[in-house]
Amino acid sequence: MSTTDNDQAPVFKKWRHWYWLVIGFLLVLVVLFYCFTKHFA
Amino acid sequence: MNFSRLDWTVLVLTLLLIIVYGVYRSRTSKNLEGYLLSDRQMPWWLVLLSIMGTQASAITFLTVPGQAYSDGMRFVQYYFGLPFAMVVVCIMFVPIFHRLKVFTAYEYLEQRFDVKTRLLTSFLFLLSRGISTGVSILAPSIVLHSMLGWDIASTNLFMGGLLIIYTVSGGAKAVAYTQQLQLIIIYAAMFLAAWWAVKMLPAGIGFSDALHIGGKSGKLNVITSGFTDKGFDWKDRYNIWSGVIGGFFLALSYFGTDQSQVGRYLTARSEGESKLGLLMNGLVKVPLQFGILLIGVLLFAFYQFNNTPAFFNLAQEQTLRKSANASEFATAELKYKQVQDEKRKTVVALGNALHANNETEIDQLRTQLQQQQAQTQQVHDSISNIVKKTIPGSDGNDTNYVFLRFVGDFLPNGLVGLIIAIIFLASWSSIAAALHALASCTMIDFHKRFTKKAATPLQEYRWSQAYVLIWGIFSVIVALFSYNLGNSLVEAVNILGSWFYGTILGIFLVALYLKRVGGHAVFTGAIIAEIIVIGVYYLDFLSFLWLNLVGAVAVVIFSFIVQVIFCRAKRGKTTPEVLWQSRKV
Repeated sequence: MSTTDNDQAPVFKKWRHWYWLVIGFLLVLVVLFYCFTKHFA
Repeated sequence: MNFSRLDWTVLVLTLLLIIVYGVYRSRTSKNLEGYLLSDRQMPWWLVLLSIMGTQASAITFLTVPGQAYSDGMRFVQYYFGLPFAMVVVCIMFVPIFHRLKVFTAYEYLEQRFDVKTRLLTSFLFLLSRGISTGVSILAPSIVLHSMLGWDIASTNLFMGGLLIIYTVSGGAKAVAYTQQLQLIIIYAAMFLAAWWAVKMLPAGIGFSDALHIGGKSGKLNVITSGFTDKGFDWKDRYNIWSGVIGGFFLALSYFGTDQSQVGRYLTARSEGESKLGLLMNGLVKVPLQFGILLIGVLLFAFYQFNNTPAFFNLAQEQTLRKSANASEFATAELKYKQVQDEKRKTVVALGNALHANNETEIDQLRTQLQQQQAQTQQVHDSISNIVKKTIPGSDGNDTNYVFLRFVGDFLPNGLVGLIIAIIFLASWSSIAAALHALASCTMIDFHKRFTKKAATPLQEYRWSQAYVLIWGIFSVIVALFSYNLGNSLVEAVNILGSWFYGTILGIFLVALYLKRVGGHAVFTGAIIAEIIVIGVYYLDFLSFLWLNLVGAVAVVIFSFIVQVIFCRAKRGKTTPEVLWQSRKV
């Protein structure tokens, strides 16, 4: 079987955008977790 | 724990479903590419599920809720480095592995350095993964032995034996497809257990109240800084800094250089599909882990209104009752019950204050609750000490048994069987991938590398199957002979990984970034780093998560020093092919 070398990023134009999405999502989660901790404490 | 006929039926049917499905999906090309890499034809979502299934062992599902119950949710910070690691793996590792069309991560090291560096790294992987796979079989067996009274040797054989059927027959393809089904069943069952805990709360106490009870008792400590009055606590295991930095190096090493993960994303049909699977893992891992920890907090809230066992390990509790220290235990148990009863009154008052939105009373009750929580912990510690002195080899830690004790005592028949089934499924999911990775390295890095006589594709396929079988038997033997492990099981496995992961990662970092460093230097640097890591662990002044960083940095520094001082004449192979890496992001 042959392997395709298709490295095209889906949805976004570049992989860089995916990378920022993953990091950005983590930062949002950390902020939400912080608020969650404060709210219920 | 009462295990009814219905539970047995659910357990047997679920396990049979997985085995039959695994064998059914096991048709693959009878060559190395087909058996070890599913012909490199997997879509990204199957790669994602396979990565998740490999990472999440039975230990994860058994002990993580207990961890939240006893220590709060701060354990989730351990995963904060993972999304960063996913990005770095996509930039640094995936392009190289795909371009060079390697079977194992360590093949690259021979092309970049020399055969001894490849063999050292592959050997470190085989050593750590081989032992930890045995522990992965043993850990859930111990828990099932304690909760259901099953014979531990038979449980080990059952746990490690059945998955060998589909792993040997179907290779990477069977592993990936069964992991997909296993994850669906596991998450569905965990959701049901959480829903049941909320459903069994007293009338008038809902999900939000349960979170307030957990929060005001200090269990919703999702973000912690690690700083105390005396400054930063380097021995504090889970805080945002050890999670982001230590967790990053652990995850980078695990996903970039551990064949049990590399072997999963190498099955993707393209470089892009590998990247997408990894990045999706970076998106979903933290929220999923948060959800599993939240189950522990819900259990904590649940037990504020119900009788809490003084010690969650049922087998050890029964041993205590028959021992010479039975009266001491009974006194401590009574004290524990009194403290719990007092705490229950505070929790009920807190529920009323919350509903009345009375801030002043909430503040008073929060302080009172935290004092009672500290008192409860004190009595529980005294019970742990009685366990330790009564039962030789016991560490007095019942964290791993919190979730299963709840399952056994409160869940309805049928659901108990399903929860026991997910222990098997989660074990199989990670163990199958590990056995497959161990066999891949043995076949590619040792057998094929050193066999002079050319073999047919079918012979290579049969050899690979044989290695899966051999590693399966080895892991069961390790499980049978390492019964007394001590401490929390999840941490024991992570600590073992941290001994070697940093060093392996350091070798890859040198390969990718220090172009002038050659094989002799990196080999020597790796040996020195490993000695330092084990030394630091035994000196016990750093939490184990930092060992990954220590190992990786030590390899980079010592490789460079050795290269500069002793190996100026011999440099690494700097051909574009082996040093190539994609900077296109």
